[in-house]
Amino acid sequence: MTIEIIQPDTGFPIPAGVFAQTVTSVQHYTDRLFKFRITRPESFRFRSGEFVMIGLPNAEKPVFRAYSIASPSWDEEIEFYSIKVEDGPLTEHLQKVKVGDTVLMRKKSTGTLVNDALLPGKRLWMFSTGTGIAPFASLIRDPETYEKFEEVILTHTCRDVGELTYGKELVAAVKDDPLCGEFAQGLRLYSTTTREDYPFQGRITDLMASGKVFDDLGLPPITPEIDRGMICGSMAMLRDTKASLEGFGLVEGANNRPDTFVVERAFVD
Amino acid sequence: MTYVVTDACINCKYQDCIEVCPVDCFYEGENMIVINTDECIDCGVCEPECPVDAIIPDSDLAAGPWVAINQKYAEMWPNIAEKGTPPADADDWAETKGKLDLLSETPASA
Repeated sequence: MTIEIIQPDTGFPIPAGVFAQTVTSVQHYTDRLFKFRITRPESFRFRSGEFVMIGLPNAEKPVFRAYSIASPSWDEEIEFYSIKVEDGPLTEHLQKVKVGDTVLMRKKSTGTLVNDALLPGKRLWMFSTGTGIAPFASLIRDPETYEKFEEVILTHTCRDVGELTYGKELVAAVKDDPLCGEFAQGLRLYSTTTREDYPFQGRITDLMASGKVFDDLGLPPITPEIDRGMICGSMAMLRDTKASLEGFGLVEGANNRPDTFVVERAFVD
Repeated sequence: MTYVVTDACINCKYQDCIEVCPVDCFYEGENMIVINTDECIDCGVCEPECPVDAIIPDSDLAAGPWVAINQKYAEMWPNIAEKGTPPADADDWAETKGKLDLLSETPASA
């Protein structure tokens, strides 16, 4: 398939040091959530799990926000999964993007939710709420994740059942994927809701404290010898989940000092 | 919310922070680097990169005067978006505490 590259004609100059890319697809999940994909600049390299700053060519000095890249590092396009915020400086406009529109992306990706920031382990836990699933959408599609970990447990907690769709479709697609499906045998998704009725309910921190998540998955509780963690969600969720993992004896790491869990702080909900 | 560079950076300028900043919000003086507190998005990625732990969040009690110092010099000094070579004697200053008196207001030479 070839994609026609439409030259940006927005009336505003593209700021220096910024890629201007074309939207290739948009999918809306709920009135608050959508994903979109853009062309990937040939020179753009990133590690699965990193984030980048994106904006729209709608002002002399456009508003940029940090977005986790939801596609894996091998993908020929770049995917983002976004919330829609009424009066949000960026998402108010971003939620209206259509195929062929221009999205701006700064050239530097970064982040701590990368395999390099974790010590080797057997089981990787990815804890997410809402659009915090995005960096994990990248990582679970990267074969390197399964080279490093035998088992990958992705937990995704949202208020309502409809908000879980992106994660469910994603994991189903990974299992079917010719490149990743073979590797991803050890991938499991544990979705929970906090408001609407659903077979699994509650905050992941409460489900860890009660042991229910471990019983549901048939796994022993988390230990630093076996388990590794990555956390992405709201500020309150980051704080509470970090405390839970520290309670299990895990220690926060970073790119230059890998350890047993990592946290993404750039996430804005 | 922002992160700030403290005096541990003075005369060291290792610049590992520059490599990872997604918004290029570092500004360079002759012997120190500072963060533009208006541009910092508080992602925290730079903090663990610094080999001398010069970068701290403004929520840290020790950040007190550093928010104003960082912003003052960020407005006077040139932006630095690519890592350069640290000073030859950087390692000699890495353990020295209380280096504020040594801070040079001179911008980095282009």
